[in-house]
Amino acid sequence: MNRRRFLTAAGGLGLTGASAWVLRNGLGSDADSAFPMQVDTMDAPGSEAGRARVPASDTVTILDLFATWCSPCVEQMDALEAVRQSYGDDVTTISVTNERLGGSLTKSDVREWWRDNDGAWTLGLDPDSELMSALGAGGIPHVAVFDADGSIRWQETSLSDAETIGERVDAALDDA
Amino acid sequence: MNRRDYLRTATALGLASGVAGCAGVLDSDGNPDVTLPEPDREVGSEDLPYPAWGQQVPDVTLPAPRADRTVELRAVDEPSVLTFFYSHCNTVCPVLISTMRNVHTHSLNNDYADEVTFLPTTFDPQRDDAERLGTYADEMNVDPDAENWQFLRPESRDRAKSVVQEQFGVAFDRTEPEEMDMYMFTHSALTFLVNADGYVERAYRSKSPDAERIIDDLDTVRS
Repeated sequence: MNRRRFLTAAGGLGLTGASAWVLRNGLGSDADSAFPMQVDTMDAPGSEAGRARVPASDTVTILDLFATWCSPCVEQMDALEAVRQSYGDDVTTISVTNERLGGSLTKSDVREWWRDNDGAWTLGLDPDSELMSALGAGGIPHVAVFDADGSIRWQETSLSDAETIGERVDAALDDA
Repeated sequence: MNRRDYLRTATALGLASGVAGCAGVLDSDGNPDVTLPEPDREVGSEDLPYPAWGQQVPDVTLPAPRADRTVELRAVDEPSVLTFFYSHCNTVCPVLISTMRNVHTHSLNNDYADEVTFLPTTFDPQRDDAERLGTYADEMNVDPDAENWQFLRPESRDRAKSVVQEQFGVAFDRTEPEEMDMYMFTHSALTFLVNADGYVERAYRSKSPDAERIIDDLDTVRS
């Protein structure tokens, strides 16, 4: 990057995140190489305390990065549930918050949010934001679809509707 | 051209292309004012449109409305983390604030809360009054009892421009999105780690800064 472009990115509006994404993701291969990862999971509806592999082995995985303060993430839950209902055991769904528990946020608060928003699948905790870093996610909600071989097939930082996620899941299933 | 005029020019143009210079004008590695090494980058701190590694934090005093006091940035006697936001923002700001909140909670969980201060600063004083900032803290799960987190609020729109944009190099402009019934902002994203002597150790130029990196850098700066 030449000097002028560098400074424009530094001082310009809204360009910093894009350059960070490119730096971290390169052509996409770096993101793949970070997986599989392990995350701590917690006891909540549809989820048991323990560890989970991300992505799951042997199935297509939908990974949802969320936080309890994020209002679009509430809406994202409905789309995830709709997709989950459609695909049953062919797809593993995992939602992970990068909020660090402590201060005024407890495990009970996260569980309550999960229950209020009808979560019914694996709920993970990623206080060091390792998943966000590995995916180069610039915000939340962020949804990623992995195929059964563990390769990232699609990801997006924004509220994703059930149709969009379903199309990506179909594509990942077709190639399996 | 002095530094302040330079920053104003850089901000007004939206980019800083007019100043000749090269990396390493400061004799970097021997800088006694900072603990962290100079970041690996193509330009020196003096050529950047914001206070960067080895430079003093701007000499400003800002109200902390929730504590009913003011904070003089150069007089904070422990390391501090600053970022700039507005509470009605839906995209970049919650990520900046939640990153800061995650670092903050790390300080609470690991018994060094009295060794670092968090100073998120609004550039929307018109809407972000003490009450609104309290609601926002609650939404973002910021511990209301923590003394080492203080929202700062410039007294007026002009003061916000002068401090946040001209002195910290965080450009922001009001927008009136057609689909919304309120104003929003386009803005750049910067998070600063300032040492106890008031010098910038790091300026993180990211819309999604890495909390772990800040925690690591903060650990080095504290020790």
